[in-house]
Amino acid sequence: MILLRMLLYLVISLVTLFLVILLGQRGAWYFAWVLGTVMIVLIAAAGGALLDAQEEAKQSGQ
Amino acid sequence: MHSLQTVVDLSRWQFAATALYHFLFVPLTLGLSFLLAAMETVYVTTGRKIYKDMALFWGKLFAINFALGVATGLTMEFQFGTNWSQYSRFVGDVFGAPLAIEGLMAFFLESTFVGLMFFGWDRMSRGKHLLVTYMVALGSNLSALWILVANGFMQSPREAVFNPVTMRLELTSFADLIFSGDAQAKFVHTSIAGYVTAAMFVAGISGWYMLRNRHMELAKRSFRMAALFGVFASIGVISLGDALGFIDGGAQPAKLVAMEAMWKTRTPPAGFNVIAFPSQKQQRNLYEIQIPKLLTPLVTRTMDTVIPGADEVENQAMVRMKDGIPAVLALKTLSADPTNQPALAQFKAHEQDMGYALLLKRYAPDLRAATPADYQRAARAVIPNVAVIFWSFRVMVLAGFSMLFYLGVAAYCSLNNRVQDRRWLLKLAPWLIPAPFIACEAGWLVAEMGRQPWTVYGVLPTWMSVSTHSVGYLVFSLTGFVLIYSAFIVVEAYLMLKFIRKGPDEGRLAAPLH
Amino acid sequence: MELYAVLKITWWLLLGVLLIGLAVMVGMDMGIGAALRYFGRTDGERRAVLNMIGPHWDGNQVWFILGGGAVFAAWPTIYATAFSGLYIVMLLLLWSMIIRPLGFEYRSKLPSPSWRNLWDWGLFVSGLLPMVIFGAAIGNMLLGVPFHFNWYLESWYTGSFISLFNPFAILCGLMSLLLALYQGSAMVMNRGEGAVRERARRLGTWAGLLALALFTAGGFWVARLSGYVVTSGDDPAGPAMPLRKIVEMVQGAWLHNFSAYPVLWLVPGLTYVGVLAGVWALRRGWSHFGWWLGALGWIGTIGTVGAAMFPFMMPSSSNPSQSLTVWDASSSQTTLLWMLGWTIVFVPIVLIYTSWAFWIMRGKVTPAHVEGNDHAY
Repeated sequence: MILLRMLLYLVISLVTLFLVILLGQRGAWYFAWVLGTVMIVLIAAAGGALLDAQEEAKQSGQ
Repeated sequence: MHSLQTVVDLSRWQFAATALYHFLFVPLTLGLSFLLAAMETVYVTTGRKIYKDMALFWGKLFAINFALGVATGLTMEFQFGTNWSQYSRFVGDVFGAPLAIEGLMAFFLESTFVGLMFFGWDRMSRGKHLLVTYMVALGSNLSALWILVANGFMQSPREAVFNPVTMRLELTSFADLIFSGDAQAKFVHTSIAGYVTAAMFVAGISGWYMLRNRHMELAKRSFRMAALFGVFASIGVISLGDALGFIDGGAQPAKLVAMEAMWKTRTPPAGFNVIAFPSQKQQRNLYEIQIPKLLTPLVTRTMDTVIPGADEVENQAMVRMKDGIPAVLALKTLSADPTNQPALAQFKAHEQDMGYALLLKRYAPDLRAATPADYQRAARAVIPNVAVIFWSFRVMVLAGFSMLFYLGVAAYCSLNNRVQDRRWLLKLAPWLIPAPFIACEAGWLVAEMGRQPWTVYGVLPTWMSVSTHSVGYLVFSLTGFVLIYSAFIVVEAYLMLKFIRKGPDEGRLAAPLH
Repeated sequence: MELYAVLKITWWLLLGVLLIGLAVMVGMDMGIGAALRYFGRTDGERRAVLNMIGPHWDGNQVWFILGGGAVFAAWPTIYATAFSGLYIVMLLLLWSMIIRPLGFEYRSKLPSPSWRNLWDWGLFVSGLLPMVIFGAAIGNMLLGVPFHFNWYLESWYTGSFISLFNPFAILCGLMSLLLALYQGSAMVMNRGEGAVRERARRLGTWAGLLALALFTAGGFWVARLSGYVVTSGDDPAGPAMPLRKIVEMVQGAWLHNFSAYPVLWLVPGLTYVGVLAGVWALRRGWSHFGWWLGALGWIGTIGTVGAAMFPFMMPSSSNPSQSLTVWDASSSQTTLLWMLGWTIVFVPIVLIYTSWAFWIMRGKVTPAHVEGNDHAY
């Protein structure tokens, strides 16, 4: 079951990768939008998580 | 003629007013949906409840904004047909397709999942709900994609050809429609402008809370995430804006003339007008402050390419008007007899300039009798309103760079975890909330007013695009829109401010009636 | 048959599917909006009723938006001619429809009774008016609309605004409203309890039976109407050019298709079967079944109009030869083909996630449930 699910994820990611490469050849800016959006969402999320780490460090330091 | 002019003007006012109004709500939806998804991502990965509170609180403001975006979006869908019916018939074969796909692919996704996003918190696993939120964000941005694909066609129509048998433009390549450079750059520019709008909105309100020492935990985290989200988005908006300017300026020299208030063609490298007071009537700037040699490298990426000024653009337009006349004359013959070979040959030979002859037709209804004065007037009309576009462009750029600067500093201070001590930074935040909205509206003006006098650049003039209405119809509809839209904005602003003041912890949003 | 002709027929059928989707899904929401103050006597009950469709109204509304978009893409001449010709009616439709999103989203945000009453009436107007206009528009298509084209196909509407509200159109409008009330009642029965459910059962019964009465009356009326007949020159595979055919108005012509193909009588039969069986199901309390039977009723109704008018889509009463038909009002072959591709890929996906959304939000909605929910309308 786990194996099957992993296989499914693998297939999905391969298909996505393939589509994105296709997209990149025709539409450089669309490709940039996909990459850029993923990147800034993740950066914003990481920034939030980092704040929690900073707060904890401050509290344990005091 | 007089009444046609009034109908054209009123139809333009109505479209511009309703589109600008709609565009007050759209950018926030585009960006806030992804920012909500980012907050929820932290909630799902770390399990900290504060991030769910954030997603819920900002989600409430999102909902208030979203309802008006949906409502005013309906108007846009109607208006092509009600007020621009000749345009709709003329380009529906090309322009209608992305609009239909927008509904099929994007609106269904966004609207179906937005209900689950609001109502489904307790009905599915965290992971599934996160997926739902991402689908809302994806759906709203896909709708922006398709409407801007349609708009890209209006700006640089290269994927369609006029069919004299059906008297309209017909699609030749679907791929060219989707992948037109204009559509691509404009979609990314607009979508990311929405991200900046949401970032400034969230940062502004969070700053206001922190200043009052309210909801500190929520505000600090929201501010940090918004600042990071916004600073990268700002960089993207500015670089894509530059790319869009390059593409659009190449495709539409008249728009470039208006953006830079450049009346005369100058020997390269031309100077850049920082400030100018253009006079459309005298075709010159009454006053200007110029940085020498800057414009040519900015616009062409070279030092020696000639950028056509208004004089050159007008001259070229006159040549094309003259060349297009035989095509329009042939059409009349073809409408009665589509197999007439000489007429077909005449049409084919002059097809590429037909739009310019149609533009001239407004000043010379009988094209064969067009006088030099008619040509002159039509040529003047090729240059859009320079003062409005020149200044809108500068307002947009200034607002863009101010936000980049502010968000950069904000992200830096927030990463140091010192933002709550920087009172000036927090005080500034709410005052900057209007900046992205102003920038978005100004950007619309540059792009769409700068396209005038065309609805489809170089192909279909605006005056030929309107419906055959009486002035009374337009007065009726404009009055209705003004009344309804004014009432709506008052209600929306009231609710928005009320729920911002109330803040996240003050109990349930929809209080029971006692 | 040539590909272009096949594509035109396919898109005519798809337009029918979209109109049915619109009528069933948006009609259900509008029926609920129009009868909100009947279904719910207290604020709690009204909120419960609103929240039954709260998660879905926005998605349902896309059927309407997509309907407009598909007409634009596949039938641009009809989109342009109908929307501009029926200008005032279209604006009334639009203005009543844009109150709805705010009605749902803003109504319960403030605890003031007068505020909520105001939005209740807003929802009433934005449920009643669009459904009447929707039906009246279809009625006017059966009658023909006074418009003509000039040589480069600019359309001119020559009728008055009031003439669009003629008795036959109003009959069609009321029938459409009644079917919407039926569909809304079935939904409220699905997700409501107690008194609310009882009121919905009563309204659904009466709305269904009255709708059938109007449908029957409309049928006899149509038989006496002047229909339209193409007498020459409308090539199914020809270009989208509506100026090169000859059309005559003949009394009773809308029944010609039925006499040529008697099997078509099954289509109006569907309306009777659907609504009668639906009313019976609602009486028995099987409201889910009743909902689907109501949808069958809509299929029969819209199918009947389509079967009667084919190949006409928007006949011109002032210049019949310039009427718009399936053969001469569509997009080019390229566009129809591309759009068909997108439809084949995306419609199943849409249906899957829409069903999933209804499945997730299934179950009863009560006033108590609404009070305890954070985002409830």
